[in-house]
Amino acid sequence: MNRDKNLPLTETTYYILLSLLEPAHGYFIMQKIEELSNQQVKLAAGTLYGAIENLLKQKLIQSVKNEDNRRKVYIITEKGKEVLLLDLERMHHMIWITEGQLKL
Amino acid sequence: MIKFKCFIDYDKEEKWLHEMANKGYELERVCLGYKFYYTKPKNVTIRIDYRTFKKKEDFIDYCNLFGDCGWKHIAGSKNSGAQYFKKIDENSQGDIFSDAISKAGKYKRLSSMCGVLAAMYLMLSAAYISGGYMNVKAMLNPKLLYLTPGLWERTGVPFWGGFLFETPFVILRGFVFIIPLVMILYVYLLIKAQLLYNKTKKVL
Repeated sequence: MNRDKNLPLTETTYYILLSLLEPAHGYFIMQKIEELSNQQVKLAAGTLYGAIENLLKQKLIQSVKNEDNRRKVYIITEKGKEVLLLDLERMHHMIWITEGQLKL
Repeated sequence: MIKFKCFIDYDKEEKWLHEMANKGYELERVCLGYKFYYTKPKNVTIRIDYRTFKKKEDFIDYCNLFGDCGWKHIAGSKNSGAQYFKKIDENSQGDIFSDAISKAGKYKRLSSMCGVLAAMYLMLSAAYISGGYMNVKAMLNPKLLYLTPGLWERTGVPFWGGFLFETPFVILRGFVFIIPLVMILYVYLLIKAQLLYNKTKKVL
Protein backbone atom coordinates (compact mmCIF):
# COMPACT_ATOMS: atom_id res chain seq x y z
CA MET A 1 0.00 0.00 0.00
CA ASN A 2 1.24 3.43 -0.86
CA ARG A 3 2.17 5.66 2.00
CA ASP A 4 0.27 8.91 2.55
CA LYS A 5 2.14 11.65 0.64
CA ASN A 6 2.30 13.85 3.76
CA LEU A 7 4.49 11.32 5.57
CA PRO A 8 6.91 11.46 7.26
CA LEU A 9 6.10 14.71 9.01
CA THR A 10 8.99 16.95 9.99
CA GLU A 11 9.52 17.57 13.67
CA THR A 12 8.18 21.11 13.19
CA THR A 13 4.95 20.08 11.45
CA TYR A 14 4.38 17.21 13.86
CA TYR A 15 4.57 19.51 16.86
CA ILE A 16 2.39 22.16 15.23
CA LEU A 17 -0.32 19.59 14.47
CA LEU A 18 -0.05 18.21 17.98
CA SER A 19 -0.37 21.64 19.58
CA LEU A 20 -3.40 22.45 17.42
CA LEU A 21 -5.59 19.71 18.86
CA GLU A 22 -7.09 22.72 20.60
CA PRO A 23 -7.41 26.17 18.98
CA ALA A 24 -4.39 28.45 19.30
CA HIS A 25 -2.81 31.51 17.69
CA GLY A 26 0.77 31.72 16.43
CA TYR A 27 2.61 32.77 19.57
CA PHE A 28 0.66 30.30 21.69
CA ILE A 29 1.58 27.48 19.28
CA MET A 30 5.22 28.42 19.72
CA GLN A 31 5.03 28.34 23.52
CA LYS A 32 3.09 25.09 23.46
CA ILE A 33 5.72 23.46 21.26
CA GLU A 34 8.52 24.54 23.59
CA GLU A 35 6.64 23.01 26.48
CA LEU A 36 5.71 19.78 24.66
CA SER A 37 9.27 19.24 23.44
CA ASN A 38 10.96 19.92 26.79
CA GLN A 39 12.44 23.16 25.38
CA GLN A 40 14.13 21.17 22.60
CA VAL A 41 12.20 22.70 19.70
CA LYS A 42 12.18 26.48 19.57
CA LEU A 43 10.62 27.88 16.42
CA ALA A 44 11.37 31.38 15.20
CA ALA A 45 8.54 33.62 13.97
CA GLY A 46 9.33 33.41 10.24
CA THR A 47 9.73 29.65 10.30
CA LEU A 48 6.47 29.15 12.19
CA TYR A 49 4.58 31.50 9.85
CA GLY A 50 5.80 29.59 6.79
CA ALA A 51 4.94 26.23 8.37
CA ILE A 52 1.42 27.39 9.24
CA GLU A 53 0.95 28.63 5.69
CA ASN A 54 1.98 25.25 4.27
CA LEU A 55 -0.29 23.34 6.64
CA LEU A 56 -3.22 25.56 5.64
CA LYS A 57 -2.47 24.87 1.98
CA GLN A 58 -2.40 21.12 2.64
CA LYS A 59 -5.67 21.51 4.58
CA LEU A 60 -4.18 19.82 7.64
CA ILE A 61 -5.17 22.84 9.75
CA GLN A 62 -7.76 25.57 9.31
CA SER A 63 -8.33 28.99 10.78
CA VAL A 64 -11.26 29.57 13.09
CA LYS A 65 -13.18 32.72 13.98
CA ASN A 66 -12.14 34.52 17.13
CA GLU A 67 -12.70 37.84 18.87
CA ASP A 68 -9.17 39.17 18.46
CA ASN A 69 -9.14 39.96 14.76
CA ARG A 70 -5.49 41.00 14.89
CA ARG A 71 -4.32 37.42 15.44
CA LYS A 72 -5.50 34.36 13.59
CA VAL A 73 -6.47 31.25 15.50
CA TYR A 74 -6.02 27.79 14.01
CA ILE A 75 -7.18 24.26 14.73
CA ILE A 76 -6.32 20.85 13.31
CA THR A 77 -8.68 19.41 10.66
CA GLU A 78 -9.97 15.83 10.42
CA LYS A 79 -7.44 15.21 7.67
CA GLY A 80 -4.74 16.65 9.93
CA LYS A 81 -5.68 14.28 12.75
CA GLU A 82 -5.56 11.37 10.33
CA VAL A 83 -2.07 12.30 9.16
CA LEU A 84 -0.89 12.82 12.74
CA LEU A 85 -2.12 9.32 13.67
CA LEU A 86 -0.49 7.79 10.59
CA ASP A 87 2.81 9.39 11.54
CA LEU A 88 2.40 8.15 15.10
CA GLU A 89 1.92 4.61 13.75
CA ARG A 90 4.98 5.01 11.56
CA MET A 91 7.07 6.01 14.57
CA HIS A 92 5.57 3.24 16.73
CA HIS A 93 6.68 0.79 14.10
CA MET A 94 10.17 2.25 14.00
CA ILE A 95 10.51 2.06 17.77
CA TRP A 96 9.16 -1.48 17.84
CA ILE A 97 11.52 -2.86 15.15
CA THR A 98 14.50 -0.96 16.58
CA GLU A 99 13.94 -2.38 20.03
CA GLY A 100 13.59 -5.85 18.47
CA GLN A 101 16.80 -5.56 16.46
CA LEU A 102 18.79 -4.21 19.40
CA LYS A 103 17.21 -6.76 21.75
CA LEU A 104 16.35 -4.08 24.28
CA MET B 1 18.64 61.13 5.94
CA ILE B 2 17.83 59.22 2.78
CA LYS B 3 20.20 56.74 1.16
CA PHE B 4 19.82 54.87 -2.08
CA LYS B 5 21.22 51.40 -2.24
CA CYS B 6 20.22 48.16 -3.87
CA PHE B 7 20.53 44.74 -2.27
CA ILE B 8 19.49 41.28 -3.31
CA ASP B 9 21.40 39.47 -0.60
CA TYR B 10 19.38 40.09 2.57
CA ASP B 11 22.30 39.07 4.80
CA LYS B 12 24.33 41.95 3.42
CA GLU B 13 21.42 44.36 3.76
CA GLU B 14 20.88 43.31 7.39
CA LYS B 15 24.56 43.83 8.09
CA TRP B 16 24.52 47.28 6.48
CA LEU B 17 21.46 48.35 8.50
CA HIS B 18 23.20 47.09 11.62
CA GLU B 19 26.27 49.20 10.82
CA MET B 20 24.08 52.27 10.14
CA ALA B 21 22.45 51.84 13.56
CA ASN B 22 25.91 51.59 15.10
CA LYS B 23 26.57 55.04 13.69
CA GLY B 24 23.28 56.29 15.15
CA TYR B 25 21.10 56.06 12.04
CA GLU B 26 17.99 54.04 12.64
CA LEU B 27 15.80 52.86 9.82
CA GLU B 28 12.49 54.66 9.64
CA ARG B 29 11.02 53.47 6.38
CA VAL B 30 11.95 51.93 3.04
CA CYS B 31 10.36 53.33 -0.08
CA LEU B 32 12.61 53.54 -3.17
CA GLY B 33 15.43 54.54 -0.79
CA TYR B 34 16.16 54.02 2.87
CA LYS B 35 15.01 56.77 5.23
CA PHE B 36 16.91 57.03 8.51
CA TYR B 37 16.48 59.16 11.60
CA TYR B 38 19.35 60.10 13.83
CA THR B 39 19.37 58.92 17.44
CA LYS B 40 22.35 57.77 19.40
CA PRO B 41 24.55 54.86 18.26
CA LYS B 42 22.84 51.61 19.19
CA ASN B 43 23.37 47.93 18.75
CA VAL B 44 20.33 47.02 16.71
CA THR B 45 19.51 43.67 15.12
CA ILE B 46 17.50 43.90 11.92
CA ARG B 47 16.09 40.91 10.07
CA ILE B 48 14.39 40.92 6.69
CA ASP B 49 11.72 38.58 5.36
CA TYR B 50 10.17 38.61 1.88
CA ARG B 51 6.43 38.19 1.69
CA THR B 52 3.40 39.75 0.01
CA PHE B 53 -0.13 39.37 1.29
CA LYS B 54 -3.49 38.95 -0.38
CA LYS B 55 -5.52 40.38 2.48
CA LYS B 56 -4.94 43.20 4.91
CA GLU B 57 -5.81 40.96 7.89
CA ASP B 58 -3.17 38.41 6.81
CA PHE B 59 -0.57 41.17 6.94
CA ILE B 60 -1.75 42.36 10.37
CA ASP B 61 -1.69 38.79 11.71
CA TYR B 62 1.83 38.34 10.33
CA CYS B 63 3.13 41.54 11.96
CA ASN B 64 1.52 40.62 15.27
CA LEU B 65 3.06 37.15 15.30
CA PHE B 66 6.51 38.67 14.87
CA GLY B 67 5.67 41.33 17.45
CA ASP B 68 4.63 38.66 19.97
CA CYS B 69 8.00 36.98 19.40
CA GLY B 70 9.98 40.15 20.12
CA TRP B 71 10.44 41.41 16.55
CA LYS B 72 8.93 44.80 15.81
CA HIS B 73 7.82 45.41 12.23
CA ILE B 74 9.49 48.68 11.22
CA ALA B 75 9.22 48.89 7.44
CA GLY B 76 7.38 47.23 4.58
CA SER B 77 3.74 47.06 3.56
CA LYS B 78 1.16 44.53 2.44
CA ASN B 79 2.45 44.51 -1.13
CA SER B 80 6.04 45.72 -0.76
CA GLY B 81 7.61 42.28 -0.42
CA ALA B 82 10.55 43.06 1.82
CA GLN B 83 9.53 43.22 5.49
CA TYR B 84 11.92 44.71 8.05
CA PHE B 85 11.96 43.65 11.67
CA LYS B 86 13.86 45.04 14.62
CA LYS B 87 14.67 42.95 17.64
CA ILE B 88 13.05 44.56 20.68
CA ASP B 89 13.23 41.74 23.21
CA GLU B 90 16.68 40.75 24.47
CA ASN B 91 15.42 37.28 25.29
CA SER B 92 14.09 36.48 21.86
CA GLN B 93 16.04 34.38 19.39
CA GLY B 94 18.83 35.78 17.24
CA ASP B 95 16.99 35.22 13.98
CA ILE B 96 13.47 35.18 12.57
CA PHE B 97 14.16 31.77 11.07
CA SER B 98 15.12 28.65 12.98
CA ASP B 99 16.06 26.40 10.07
CA ALA B 100 17.88 26.79 6.77
CA ILE B 101 14.97 25.75 4.53
CA SER B 102 12.59 28.38 5.86
CA LYS B 103 15.33 31.01 5.76
CA ALA B 104 16.00 30.15 2.10
CA GLY B 105 12.24 30.31 1.45
CA LYS B 106 12.33 34.11 1.24
CA TYR B 107 14.68 33.91 -1.77
CA LYS B 108 12.33 31.36 -3.34
CA ARG B 109 9.42 33.82 -2.98
CA LEU B 110 11.57 36.69 -4.26
CA SER B 111 12.68 34.68 -7.28
CA SER B 112 9.16 33.57 -8.18
CA MET B 113 7.97 37.18 -7.92
CA CYS B 114 10.77 38.21 -10.30
CA GLY B 115 9.71 35.37 -12.59
CA VAL B 116 6.13 36.64 -12.71
CA LEU B 117 7.27 40.19 -13.44
CA ALA B 118 9.77 39.04 -16.10
CA ALA B 119 6.98 37.06 -17.81
CA MET B 120 4.69 40.09 -17.69
CA TYR B 121 7.31 42.32 -19.30
CA LEU B 122 8.08 39.62 -21.86
CA MET B 123 4.42 39.52 -22.91
CA LEU B 124 4.30 43.29 -22.97
CA SER B 125 7.41 43.39 -25.20
CA ALA B 126 5.93 40.77 -27.53
CA ALA B 127 2.70 42.75 -27.76
CA TYR B 128 4.58 45.96 -28.57
CA ILE B 129 6.74 44.25 -31.19
CA SER B 130 3.88 42.41 -32.91
CA GLY B 131 1.75 45.55 -32.81
CA GLY B 132 4.54 47.43 -34.57
CA TYR B 133 5.05 49.86 -31.69
CA MET B 134 8.57 48.68 -31.09
CA ASN B 135 11.12 48.32 -33.84
CA VAL B 136 13.62 45.60 -32.86
CA LYS B 137 16.16 46.82 -35.43
CA ALA B 138 16.12 50.29 -33.87
CA MET B 139 17.17 48.78 -30.60
CA LEU B 140 20.52 47.88 -32.12
CA ASN B 141 20.67 50.94 -34.32
CA PRO B 142 19.09 53.98 -32.62
CA LYS B 143 19.69 56.07 -35.79
CA LEU B 144 16.55 54.47 -37.20
CA LEU B 145 14.49 56.32 -34.62
CA TYR B 146 15.23 59.62 -36.37
CA LEU B 147 12.58 60.17 -39.02
CA THR B 148 13.84 63.40 -40.65
CA PRO B 149 14.63 62.46 -44.27
CA GLY B 150 18.34 62.67 -45.06
CA LEU B 151 19.31 63.76 -41.55
CA TRP B 152 22.40 61.55 -41.39
CA GLU B 153 23.71 62.88 -44.73
CA ARG B 154 23.67 66.46 -43.48
CA THR B 155 26.71 68.09 -41.91
CA GLY B 156 27.41 71.15 -39.75
CA VAL B 157 24.62 73.43 -38.55
CA PRO B 158 21.78 71.82 -40.59
CA PHE B 159 22.71 68.46 -39.08
CA TRP B 160 22.94 69.69 -35.47
CA GLY B 161 19.78 71.75 -35.88
CA GLY B 162 17.76 68.79 -37.11
CA PHE B 163 19.43 66.40 -34.70
CA LEU B 164 18.80 68.49 -31.59
CA PHE B 165 15.27 69.32 -32.72
CA GLU B 166 14.34 65.69 -33.13
CA THR B 167 16.18 64.20 -30.14
CA PRO B 168 13.41 64.91 -27.57
CA PHE B 169 10.91 63.13 -29.86
CA VAL B 170 13.32 60.23 -30.30
CA ILE B 171 13.62 59.87 -26.54
CA LEU B 172 9.84 59.68 -26.31
CA ARG B 173 9.70 57.21 -29.20
CA GLY B 174 12.49 55.14 -27.72
CA PHE B 175 10.87 55.07 -24.32
CA VAL B 176 9.19 51.74 -25.06
CA PHE B 177 12.64 50.12 -25.07
CA ILE B 178 12.55 50.39 -21.32
CA ILE B 179 10.15 47.42 -21.36
CA PRO B 180 12.60 44.76 -22.64
CA LEU B 181 15.33 46.29 -20.45
CA VAL B 182 13.17 45.91 -17.34
CA MET B 183 12.47 42.34 -18.40
CA ILE B 184 16.19 41.61 -18.60
CA LEU B 185 16.66 43.19 -15.17
CA TYR B 186 14.01 40.90 -13.66
CA VAL B 187 15.57 37.83 -15.28
CA TYR B 188 18.90 38.85 -13.73
CA LEU B 189 17.28 39.29 -10.30
CA LEU B 190 15.52 35.95 -10.69
CA ILE B 191 18.82 34.17 -11.30
CA LYS B 192 20.52 35.97 -8.40
CA ALA B 193 17.70 35.10 -6.01
CA GLN B 194 17.74 31.49 -7.17
CA LEU B 195 21.49 31.25 -6.50
CA LEU B 196 21.00 32.75 -3.03
CA TYR B 197 18.21 30.25 -2.42
CA ASN B 198 20.51 27.35 -3.25
CA LYS B 199 23.26 28.80 -1.07
CA THR B 200 21.06 29.58 1.94
CA LYS B 201 19.35 26.19 1.85
CA LYS B 202 22.66 24.54 2.68
CA VAL B 203 23.90 26.63 5.58
CA LEU B 204 22.70 27.94 8.89
